[in-house]
Amino acid sequence: MNELWSSTVAYRLTLVCALLGVGAGCVTSRVEDAREGITGIASDESVVIMAKSYHLGNETEAKYIACIENALARGSKGLRVIPHKQFVDSLFPWFEPRTAPTETKGLPKLMERPGVAAQIHEQGVRYIIWLEGDTEKVAGGGSLSCAAGPGGGGCFGFAWWQNASDYNASVWDLEGLESAGTVSADVSGTSFLPALVVPIPLIARTQAAACKGLANQLRAFIISDELT
Amino acid sequence: MGTLFASLAAGCGSSVVLDPPTIPKPLMTTIPLSVGLRMPENFESFVHEEEVLGREQWTIDLGRSNAVFFAQLFGYMFETVTVVSEADDPSIMPFDALIEPSIDEFEFSVPNQTKTNDFAVWIRYRIKVYDRDGKLVVNWPVSAYGKSQTTVMGGKDALQRAAILAMRDAAALMIIKFDEPTLISSISSDPTSTAVPVEEGGEATAQATTLGGDNDE
Repeated sequence: MNELWSSTVAYRLTLVCALLGVGAGCVTSRVEDAREGITGIASDESVVIMAKSYHLGNETEAKYIACIENALARGSKGLRVIPHKQFVDSLFPWFEPRTAPTETKGLPKLMERPGVAAQIHEQGVRYIIWLEGDTEKVAGGGSLSCAAGPGGGGCFGFAWWQNASDYNASVWDLEGLESAGTVSADVSGTSFLPALVVPIPLIARTQAAACKGLANQLRAFIISDELT
Repeated sequence: MGTLFASLAAGCGSSVVLDPPTIPKPLMTTIPLSVGLRMPENFESFVHEEEVLGREQWTIDLGRSNAVFFAQLFGYMFETVTVVSEADDPSIMPFDALIEPSIDEFEFSVPNQTKTNDFAVWIRYRIKVYDRDGKLVVNWPVSAYGKSQTTVMGGKDALQRAAILAMRDAAALMIIKFDEPTLISSISSDPTSTAVPVEEGGEATAQATTLGGDNDE
């Protein structure tokens, strides 16, 4: 079954550049998935969003995890999302940064631990989604100076910076104890700050775009919209 | 201007007070032993002070956190745990083993040092286990690490969380690995069985390392 889907890759590329007074910079977004197996989710099944361990050097921001959790749960096609803290606490100490499984081949042994399979079953967890990646400033330049005096103040100049939000989600299917595939979002954007007395920020919200893009693609990936 | 700023920054200080952490009930099989738990005096009021980059004084008051943490952790791990004071003589008490945790080192880093948004805390605990004859049978260093990102709540909140995560990391390691270096389950209730004693200063070979779920045996 895995072989059937191993070469199926969905790919989306969007470019959003709104400079028409709405306060947004340019954002280039690429979202893609690579499927390894058939997915699907029942109404009583749930997903958990986890960050890969910082013991392994991962830097995924807590607010990005929260954003994905909220985005997946929202809307008429929203998934049932178990808050990751609740999940980690209920399975202590098996999903701590030090002890969490790093590969699906560790799952069968983990499920044999006392109480682990029962806890996962009780919460109806069908998929664990492991996030890795972060948002970084990759370039910047320009110059901006501000001054203030008795008669008032102001700024003059132009500054810019480029952010890259690169995130990858590995989807583990706990029913078959195997990997269902991966979804990734690479978003880059340039923010501008021109100032002629008053600075006017045009911010490229790359992390928000990466959250929205990854969550939408994850939802489609899990409920297999593309297959129906 | 730079000098003025440095002067203003000098003497800046931050103080963090940690509330005792709560460990979730672990999914594990309780070790069928009756143990005594003797904690050092500083576990009731542990304070760490450090000057960061020569200008910022940080004080982290762990208070009773370590005492609460170890009582709860070993309470989950062993059938019976009795906390004894340093004045008590454990040789006259009916324990299978006496456990004595302590702190070797406490370190932390702040975002200014690492050029990231992260606060990180390292704690190295030392766990000594004595058999029922009072012989030191285990001397195990446990290194734990916790990291937390700065939030809108500020650095103090992140440093607190990093410290709690480090303690939780130590708990996870001890729950999973305790029996390997300590062979504590070999100290059965059978009074004729004993673990092999170690020399004072000798250490157990198992070190704190990152474990995967598939290689934690």
